[in-house]
Amino acid sequence: MFKYAFMQNALVVSVLISILCPCIGVFLVLRRYSMIGDTLAHTSLAGIAIGLATGQSPVLGAFLFTSVCGALIEFLRKYFPKHTDLILTIVLALGVGTAITIVSSGSVHANIDSFLFGSILTVTKTDMILVAALSIISVLALVLLYHRLIYIAYDEEAARIAGVRVSLINYVFSVLVASAISISIRIVGVLVLSSMIALPVATALQMGKGFRGTLLYSILFSVIDIMTGLVASYYLDVAPGGFTALVSVAVLIIVLAGRRIRVGLRAAANN
Amino acid sequence: MIQAENLYFSYTGTKPYVLEGLNLTIRDGEYVSVVGENGCGKSTLIRLILKFLKPTRGSIVTTAARIGYVPQRSDSSGSGFPITVWEMLNSYRHLLHLRDRSVLEKSLELVGLTDAEDALMDTLSGGQNQKVHIARALMGRPELLILDEPSTGVDPESQREIYGLLKRLNTDQGITIVSVEHNLDAAIANSTQIYHLSGGHGHICTPQKYVEEYLGGKGTEEGHV
Repeated sequence: MFKYAFMQNALVVSVLISILCPCIGVFLVLRRYSMIGDTLAHTSLAGIAIGLATGQSPVLGAFLFTSVCGALIEFLRKYFPKHTDLILTIVLALGVGTAITIVSSGSVHANIDSFLFGSILTVTKTDMILVAALSIISVLALVLLYHRLIYIAYDEEAARIAGVRVSLINYVFSVLVASAISISIRIVGVLVLSSMIALPVATALQMGKGFRGTLLYSILFSVIDIMTGLVASYYLDVAPGGFTALVSVAVLIIVLAGRRIRVGLRAAANN
Repeated sequence: MIQAENLYFSYTGTKPYVLEGLNLTIRDGEYVSVVGENGCGKSTLIRLILKFLKPTRGSIVTTAARIGYVPQRSDSSGSGFPITVWEMLNSYRHLLHLRDRSVLEKSLELVGLTDAEDALMDTLSGGQNQKVHIARALMGRPELLILDEPSTGVDPESQREIYGLLKRLNTDQGITIVSVEHNLDAAIANSTQIYHLSGGHGHICTPQKYVEEYLGGKGTEEGHV
């Protein structure tokens, strides 16, 4: 299967997605911001449409537009400090509205379906280079900001007292979320992209580990989900995004069941 | 150490004010307990000291370069946040740019929790959780330690240990302590000054005076902690 160039490209991109998405996702989930991932994933469609309409890279278009939308979410927090849901609705309206307007105008001469559902056939070498560059920069930024991001998620006030510029880091983090989303679009697709950010983390949280352990388990589950989705989509000839989402739900259910059985056996042993 | 002059604060920017014309001086080395009814502005006052809030009018300044803060049971306690004691303290050490890892062990030793390094924060008792947050506040060698109801949700034995520790930090290391207290016994037993907030106004006095003026000279029913 990996003798084909398109599968090699898809494999490289999948590996990068499976590392970057849970690294971003763990902070989003722990800050109760999972829906931000979903909103930005949908707004990325506008960036894709702009990229395709102007003859530029749709991945780059998605990255730039999603970064702007991520920054907009942070900016709107000042005006709606207690209504994150409302902010997401506003940004979603902007993103999806822009996408529908551009696509329906007929200026996009490409199949947008592959971006909605994900496709292993459409990953070009240019995409791969762009995805690799974004991934490396994002991972480096995450390593540099690691302790600050942990603290903003765990205890934002303590972070402020320690001198962390929370607002600035939040803006940088928005760009990192945009980066994770734009690299994932080709394989996973816009519609189920947020599941790649949140579900491996949700599964890892069941392991009862500390932060580092949870992060490592998130990456492990993400690799399992995405690689299984990639291989299955090749043999079953289905879109990888949908199947990857199904695998990630299945893995979560298996881990939950395993935990329940373990707790039951422990209780039985104690009685 | 802390100076408030004609301090007004309201969350809306207009009347009614939570704090109304406060004048307060807290000198180096004092242990001040801030007491008063629920909603009287105790936590608002410490949030103003910490600069989380800005005064509506007047000013509040602190000369302390290093401030330690112990929140009212961490926002994340019981939230399922997956972090161990060691990870929580070690990340904070990085935020403070402290290269020496031993500050982490020393602060845990000070609160008597060296065995809890690998425990998840979420599995700690109320007392242990509070001690870990005190250890975190102490890592930066604070001149001023601010606590928001340190004994809330803490068992009596741990309360005794926590107040004993605070007293030692104040008397032995000269750390200035400002603690919002709902525990009047602890405030009377440990503070050098008590700041009583009521109706947006404040009054500072010694614990002895406080007992005479506010409790009719009888102290509280439960005895001192």
